[in-house]
Amino acid sequence: MLDYSWLVPVIPVACFVFVGLFCKKKPQIGGYIAITGAALSCILASIISYEYLTSGYYSSNKAFTMAIEWIKIGGFSINFGIYIDGLSCIMMLFASFISTMIFVYSLGYMHDQGEKKRRYYAEVSLFLTGMLGLVISSNYLEMFIFWEIMGLCSYLLIGFWSFDHPEAKEKSSAAKKAFLVTRMGDVCLIGGLFILLWVFKSLDYNALFAPDAIKAVTNNEYGVQLVTIASFLIFGGVIGKSAQFPLHDWLPDAMAGPTTVSALIHAATMVKAGVYLTARSFPLFVYNSHMGEQVLLFIGVIGGFTAIFAASQALNNMNIKKVLAFSTLSQLGYMILALGAGGYLMCVGIKNGNEGLIALGASGYIAGVFHMLNHAFFKGLLFLCSGSVIHSTGTEDMRLMGGLIRKMPVTSITMLLGSLSIAGFPLFSGFWSKDMVLEAAFGPFEEGFGFGSVFCVLFLLGLITAFMTAFYMFRMWFMTFVGEPRENAQHCHGESPLSMSVPLIVLSIFAVYSGILILFGLGYVINESLISSGINVEKYSSDNIVMTIFSNQWTYISIALALIGIFIAYLMYDKKEINPGILNKNGKSFVYRLLADRYHFPQIYDHTSWGLGYGVARVVNYFDRNVVDGTVNGLSNAIVESGKIMRKMQSGFVRDYARYIIIGVIVLVSTLFLMFLTGGFQCQ
Amino acid sequence: MKMIELAFLNDTFGTMLAIMPEIMLIIGALSIPGLFYFTKNKNMCATAALIAIILSGVFAGCVILDSTLSCTFMNIFKLDMFAAVMIFLFLIVAFLTVLASFASSELSNHVSEYYSLLLIATTGMLFVASANNLLVIFVGVECTSILSYALVALKKNDPRSSEAAVKYLIIGGISSGLVLYGISMLYGLTGSIDIAKIAHGLENMENLNAPFVIAVISLIAGYGFKISAVPFHMWAPDAYEGAATPVSMFLSTGSKKMGFVVLFKIFIVMFAVEQSVYAVEEMRYIFAFIATITMTIGNIVAILQKNIKRMLAYSSIAQAGYILIALAVMSEYAVTGGIFHMITHVFMKGGAFIVVGALIAAGIKENISDYKGLAKRAPIVAFAMLLFLFSLAGIPPLAGFASKFVLFSSAIVIDGVVRTQWMWLAIIAIINSAISLYYYAKVVKVMYIDSGECNEKIVIKKSHLVAILLCMVFVVAIGVYPEPIIKFCEGASGILFGKC
Repeated sequence: MLDYSWLVPVIPVACFVFVGLFCKKKPQIGGYIAITGAALSCILASIISYEYLTSGYYSSNKAFTMAIEWIKIGGFSINFGIYIDGLSCIMMLFASFISTMIFVYSLGYMHDQGEKKRRYYAEVSLFLTGMLGLVISSNYLEMFIFWEIMGLCSYLLIGFWSFDHPEAKEKSSAAKKAFLVTRMGDVCLIGGLFILLWVFKSLDYNALFAPDAIKAVTNNEYGVQLVTIASFLIFGGVIGKSAQFPLHDWLPDAMAGPTTVSALIHAATMVKAGVYLTARSFPLFVYNSHMGEQVLLFIGVIGGFTAIFAASQALNNMNIKKVLAFSTLSQLGYMILALGAGGYLMCVGIKNGNEGLIALGASGYIAGVFHMLNHAFFKGLLFLCSGSVIHSTGTEDMRLMGGLIRKMPVTSITMLLGSLSIAGFPLFSGFWSKDMVLEAAFGPFEEGFGFGSVFCVLFLLGLITAFMTAFYMFRMWFMTFVGEPRENAQHCHGESPLSMSVPLIVLSIFAVYSGILILFGLGYVINESLISSGINVEKYSSDNIVMTIFSNQWTYISIALALIGIFIAYLMYDKKEINPGILNKNGKSFVYRLLADRYHFPQIYDHTSWGLGYGVARVVNYFDRNVVDGTVNGLSNAIVESGKIMRKMQSGFVRDYARYIIIGVIVLVSTLFLMFLTGGFQCQ
Repeated sequence: MKMIELAFLNDTFGTMLAIMPEIMLIIGALSIPGLFYFTKNKNMCATAALIAIILSGVFAGCVILDSTLSCTFMNIFKLDMFAAVMIFLFLIVAFLTVLASFASSELSNHVSEYYSLLLIATTGMLFVASANNLLVIFVGVECTSILSYALVALKKNDPRSSEAAVKYLIIGGISSGLVLYGISMLYGLTGSIDIAKIAHGLENMENLNAPFVIAVISLIAGYGFKISAVPFHMWAPDAYEGAATPVSMFLSTGSKKMGFVVLFKIFIVMFAVEQSVYAVEEMRYIFAFIATITMTIGNIVAILQKNIKRMLAYSSIAQAGYILIALAVMSEYAVTGGIFHMITHVFMKGGAFIVVGALIAAGIKENISDYKGLAKRAPIVAFAMLLFLFSLAGIPPLAGFASKFVLFSSAIVIDGVVRTQWMWLAIIAIINSAISLYYYAKVVKVMYIDSGECNEKIVIKKSHLVAILLCMVFVVAIGVYPEPIIKFCEGASGILFGKC
């Protein structure tokens, strides 16, 4: 079956084609086709994962790869292939599974969209193809193709309501913003790929990740600089796609799309691609023994800063979806932080040949990937819950909700489970991975390296973020589900249909329990993907993980912070014993305004792009009108005029034709004679 | 290259295998008039022609897949990888032509004669592909030429058709004369008409040799007429415009390729392979010169054309200029590119001609301005035309891009090293591609942006649609995944350079 792994992304793309072309008359059918396709992909992905994990490739620490030569020009060839290891198995499993759930949910959520459903189901299927193709690609170029497919689909889906909708204008500008901002990252990424191609003469993971190859390239100053720049540029792509600071601001606006699309973007696809890319490029970062530390420090700093920066903006947002969007940003920051800190340790370990450090670094890698998996489940769940609420109340503003627990019991309970999970309530899935993330961030400080103090700050920021997370999630939950039913909540339709509530229940089970997987060898599987990409790590053991977590004082501190956060939210929004208005001077305080304005980032974007874009555009326009047009017009006039002359030669008289043939022969013969006589071209 | 084991064919047919493709076509051509006499059914004739082509293609295909099958018949015909690939190419052309003729409105009542002539003309091409002797090549070319004069004249109700045929005939006659003159000169010089032996005979020559110069230039001029290289191209636009569209397509994609096969056979074998260093560089510059003026004049004059068939004719001339790069560079990789471009050209130019033919059958005239609003009236056909034209212009990811890429890059990278010798040729070719985009895009603009007076849907006949879709699939598939086709082309050009 492993040979057929390419079917995993092909099935959804087939659905895309079929739904797009043939479901014009009955768009409802499109939904079932998309679900079937995603489910088939999911089943296939499970079979393939099972087969890989029981195969000889896995037990001998190798990734399964297969490739066909796509194009070969001279000595330069580009392959198209598949690369299956522990990481890609996990990625394709959760992406296809959560997408299936979201598609099922869409049956209910999108049921009144009529003919537009065709477009919706076709596009989400293509979106899934992008993600699945990305995770099994065997080289960077192929990965980039799928990366761009996702970029396109996210644009189309965020702008799903760009037509016939009261807020069409804002919707379409949100879509454009998402596209253009992520494009900044994409440009960096492809720049990085060009450098890698130049340096390594190949973009295959297999060729790039061989430790010898990287060492051979980085043995001189020039090579080190190139690889370092390429690493930064690749991470630039991650910043765009995974919405890290400073390219984070498209994600809150991307809430303009249907909630299912948000769930898809945040849980199963799109933003996870960036984290995946960071994890996939790990060997490239850590084997760069000269500058790798700086790269990874940068990654860690961006992640840690994004975590708290985004969490702070969620504190006072009134839009249920935007709170979730900011929380995604902050959780993505966690993942990047864990990867950065782990990579930093590993890089130092490889440089000094210290195996203990390498293993410690690997646990940071595991933490990042593990948190991505858990986040996929609980964020998917939370978004679908918020969709369910929006579906029955008709608003996204939490000030108009409240008291929904009585009318929507399933939604409220599942959302509570999701919130507990993301807040890191003990034994829920978020708890395990968040703790590992924080531990990973603390690692470099504990070991006391040059930049250890920076990571200490990041660790403290992470702790504060944990507190904020608990607070804003429960602020959202209390505002939505308990207390007095306000305006829209009063005429809510009640619980959503079965097609929506069943996925909620299924996902909530995963959101609660997926963390336990770490006790049953998930860490081993993730660690194995490091080993198969050539890094010499000892095998990961989950034996005493419980001990490590619970014997660490920071665990208790983070639990305490989470509980305090929940408690404060309870006091403020349920008991109403603390009036939030006192803290923020009824919304007039500077900090409150700053947060509500998203640190003025939308304006900053507008100003930069307007100033920069318009300035550049004016210069280009001038150049275009005067230089390019002048040349082109002059040239084209010359061509057309000469064409007219030549057309006159085509007189239509056969005698002229014959004459030109004879003239041609005479000219050619005399040219050849001349060449011989001057002797210019004797064999070189 | 050996992909499957087919040795039993050798046991069954012996050396006859070398001419089995031709035999199949001849059987088909001879039985079609009889079939028509008894059944009076037009479609029956077309089907018979298709069957003959497919049977013939099976033999060629077997040799492509298992090149150990290659064999020689009576020292004249050699069916090797190169011949097999070319035969397959010609058969595809014939196949598409028959498909396009099924529902064509331009052919008069001489249906059985038409298909017969077509098959025999194809047979002539097949002979050329497998011949290794100048006289046999000459006979093969004449066989195709004479029948194509008749094919051009077949549209009897249109005076343009007869005029074109007469012009074609006269120019063709002059060219045949030149070719024969050249062959006789070479025979006089070397005492042989076998290409390999001629190459040997040239080895000892030095300095200026007037008979040699006249001989090669006569050959180039004579076959330059077939490939419509400037300045021997002038018949082409008239003939393409006057002939029925399937015939124009046959001439532009098939008969032109035959000219290239001859030039490859003669000049690659004569100069590059046998290491006869005599005059190689001079010949390369002659070809580079012809390539340059051919593509430039073809593209520039195409801009001014108002009739789509004439426009396609000039674009065909320009494409011939691109392929001539292979003869100027004379490296194995360049010839691979040349063969590859010949293959992709069949699908994109053939597809464009079929679209024109299908639209004529549906009552749309031949002027570009008649295509206004076509995108609304016939969306599939308009989209197909867009693909073909963009492919001709060399826009990725279509087939034309892939083949142009290989061809042009062969002028820059020679034997794996970047050389400056032919870089100017590649640059001229690229500039020409840019110019050509103008007139291709103009047609697309007329189809998609300009609105026409009439908005009725156009009904396209099924057989036309099948042919168009076939070309479309190949244009896209080759563009996306060119590697397998390039492999075959490499095999074919390897044979020319004497590798087995």
